[in-house]
Amino acid sequence: MTAIEATEVSKRYGTVVALDRVDLTVPEGEIFGFLGPNGAGKSTFINVLLDFVSPSDGSVEIFGHDCHAEGVTARERIGVLPEGYSVFERRTGRQHIEYAIESKDADDDPAKILDRVGLDPADAEREASDYSKGMAQRLVLGMALVGEPDLLLLDEPTTGLDPNGAAEMRDIIREENERGATVFFSSHILEQVEAVCDRVGILQDGELVAVDTIEGLRESLGGGTKLVITVDNMENGTLEAVRGIRGVETAVEREESTLEVTCTNDAKMDILVELHDAGVDVVNFRTEEASLEDMFIEYTGTDR
Amino acid sequence: MSWAVIARQDWTLTVGERSTKYLLGLLGFVVVVTAYVYPIGGPGPHTTGRFGGVVHGSLTTLVPIVGVLLGYNAVVSERESGALRLSLSLPHSRADVVFGKFLGRTAVVAVALVASLAVAGFLVVYPFGELEPLRYLAFVVFAVWFAGIWTGIGIAASIAAATKRRALVLALFVFFVFVMLWDTVDSGVTLLLDFAGLIDGELPGPLQFYFGLEPGRVFGRLTDGFVDPSATVEGAWYLGEWVALVLFALWLVVPLGLAYRRFARGELA
Repeated sequence: MTAIEATEVSKRYGTVVALDRVDLTVPEGEIFGFLGPNGAGKSTFINVLLDFVSPSDGSVEIFGHDCHAEGVTARERIGVLPEGYSVFERRTGRQHIEYAIESKDADDDPAKILDRVGLDPADAEREASDYSKGMAQRLVLGMALVGEPDLLLLDEPTTGLDPNGAAEMRDIIREENERGATVFFSSHILEQVEAVCDRVGILQDGELVAVDTIEGLRESLGGGTKLVITVDNMENGTLEAVRGIRGVETAVEREESTLEVTCTNDAKMDILVELHDAGVDVVNFRTEEASLEDMFIEYTGTDR
Repeated sequence: MSWAVIARQDWTLTVGERSTKYLLGLLGFVVVVTAYVYPIGGPGPHTTGRFGGVVHGSLTTLVPIVGVLLGYNAVVSERESGALRLSLSLPHSRADVVFGKFLGRTAVVAVALVASLAVAGFLVVYPFGELEPLRYLAFVVFAVWFAGIWTGIGIAASIAAATKRRALVLALFVFFVFVMLWDTVDSGVTLLLDFAGLIDGELPGPLQFYFGLEPGRVFGRLTDGFVDPSATVEGAWYLGEWVALVLFALWLVVPLGLAYRRFARGELA
């Protein structure tokens, strides 16, 4: 059974393409990280899943139910932390959880849920509109956890959370996954995705440019070697010359006189030789394993 | 029973709001005072049926404004803030949300109306009046129905507009046209046609039907036809109380239905 099945999903606003023929399958039981810079279309995709927005072309199914035609059935088995929400006015935190319990026809104990997401009993009796962004985020995560959903759909879940809160969020994601839930979450923060995800998809300008495991992404990046080279001075055309070497994936000038090159292992020597031939003195160099961040930049061509 | 969950939550929220208390307090006050004054004011016999004919005048002005003011922000304020996203992330359909809100808010007005009309009925009957149970019951039903129509118009504005301000403008516009302007336009047209020598003091039937479409007038014809024993409904068959009953039903369904079609297709991004 697949948790999420997107087939050729496109969304256009006039001439702007928000989603471009996205094909994506998330099998049951997986933690899937949906990665991309802001404005890449992550939220649009999740809005399509929730039927807030209907796709211009293609369709999305959750557990085999079309998100538009059978939206309510599709949402019966999921827990959602949407983006751009606000809590209800004049309702306490506890009443929010109770609303979710009634809506999902579940029999959870609100106190347990609140405790799990880290809201203490005093907070639970306060009006949620007085909560900080982080507390609201915890509350809505609590609403998502109601009824032991088979799929958790979390849009930028760590927004507004401090590092501690973000770590707790990751723990909850892992716990839910161990219980058997599929987790789909979007983020532009790479470390978080790297830390918990089985697979990631990278979205860039509405296009799904890569879907793979983290290891897979590393491998596809030429063994994941990164050279950081400090030179005495950069000559015009040096960068282009380095890029022209076989085995070099990317070459960027980080700061004044520092080069970052991702390449296959065999290309390392060639690069140093090329620099020497170009009359550039290498002051220092070191190698690093490519981090997800490098891959991210590699794939999307943007610094976050 | 997804809409029931929404209706319950909305009921609690609406009742808790201070503006609701003021609006409903005003409505109740006017109804009860009218009932208190009614036996003193006019010649007898004083019956609850005749009282319906009297109080319906203030209800046709008050209920619409209460209805649109309660209805206009029902959905759009949550849409603007983003709370609607929380509801629609749960297994609720947009229809559940609209219907739940409609029921929740109409119930609030209905309870206030039924309570104040019950007190009013007592004031009319005691000590010298006469209770006409069926006629009065019919009146209460029509009044609640009328409140449902106007709350529905308010909610229709709420789901048709993208911002709270636009919803308020739209709702007040409908109120203004139907409740404040309608009679003036009617008299104006009558006077004009009379002056031109085309009619003799009274509009032709089809035009009367057209002007009679306004919900308050439909309510009036129902009161005259079914409640107030001292009044009669005159004119062609299509101006009668049974046709009015059909129109009353349409008013409940059509504005909300049209606005819902737009809302169901719209995007909530």
